[in-house]
Amino acid sequence: MAEYRIDRYQRQITLLGEEGQERLRHARVLVAGVGGLGTIVAADLAAAGVGLLRLADNDRVELSNLNRQLIFRTDDIGREKSVAAMERLHLLNPDIQVEGISQTIDDETINELAKDIDLIVDAMDNFAARFILNKAAFSRRLPLIHGAVRGFFGQATTLIPGNTGCLQCLFAGNPPGEIVPVIGATCGVIGSIQATETIKVLTGRGKPLANRLFFWDGQAGEGTVITAKRNPHCIICGDGRSDG
Amino acid sequence: MKITVRAFADYREIIGKEMELIEPEGKTIGELLAGLGDRYPKLRGEMFTPAEELKEFINIFINGRNIAFLNDMATPLSDGDIIALFPPVAGG
Repeated sequence: MAEYRIDRYQRQITLLGEEGQERLRHARVLVAGVGGLGTIVAADLAAAGVGLLRLADNDRVELSNLNRQLIFRTDDIGREKSVAAMERLHLLNPDIQVEGISQTIDDETINELAKDIDLIVDAMDNFAARFILNKAAFSRRLPLIHGAVRGFFGQATTLIPGNTGCLQCLFAGNPPGEIVPVIGATCGVIGSIQATETIKVLTGRGKPLANRLFFWDGQAGEGTVITAKRNPHCIICGDGRSDG
Repeated sequence: MKITVRAFADYREIIGKEMELIEPEGKTIGELLAGLGDRYPKLRGEMFTPAEELKEFINIFINGRNIAFLNDMATPLSDGDIIALFPPVAGG
């Protein structure tokens, strides 16, 4: 491994080994959504040396984003998030490739977005888009790292085709859109868990949050892990039968 | 029959983190929740509409399975079941 990489990643090579670091360098990750969660996950993964980050978001930076989307600055307001994030992460770590794609995620665009990708991070703000990612991940047999936040609360789980159920096994329907109240620190907790899960899955270290849902209750100051099982009749990853 | 109910977020504020029900009212999750609603009117307000229907998108898991993909409120209870109640969390 090149000397400058050994220096840059010194603190984690001790943990992951040069082999683990090389796995990160060769990994290609789609971060779907560059908002409260996506900015945290993308910054963590960029700094950790994940070889290619594809950042997808169709929004522009707004003033009200800045309580939580820590990679943006006040003078980014009005700029495309994916482009501003790409520039900032390139400055953070010129050793990796970052692609910023200003696109809404739908059944069509997901095909190009997920092309040649090893893992998808769900950092979306609604379940309709999450279910599109879920379908794409399971049809391509890619791990999907789910996270969601509201207020002081958040949840995360790691979905691995063939090993766990999918998002559609666990959640029904798409709660109506709202201006979600949230503090930046909640995004920090859940985004960092998603980044941890991504690094674990890519390097094969640790025990992923598979078949388990982590629920963060910042109000009570407590995280809890609950069992989250596959639905054998799931319309995406099961037999699709509706007889319960 | 012993049932464990674990509550999260707003529901935890009302009924506490975890409770064990030794002889729960009713044989289904719907009956159990109705019973909890009688005991905790605030919980009923959080979980049910004025027409006494469960509000949409509330997550109720029995032993790790969302009741939406079982028999919904008619899902039967068995000894040792662990029930998790948590609100929809959808932001990013």
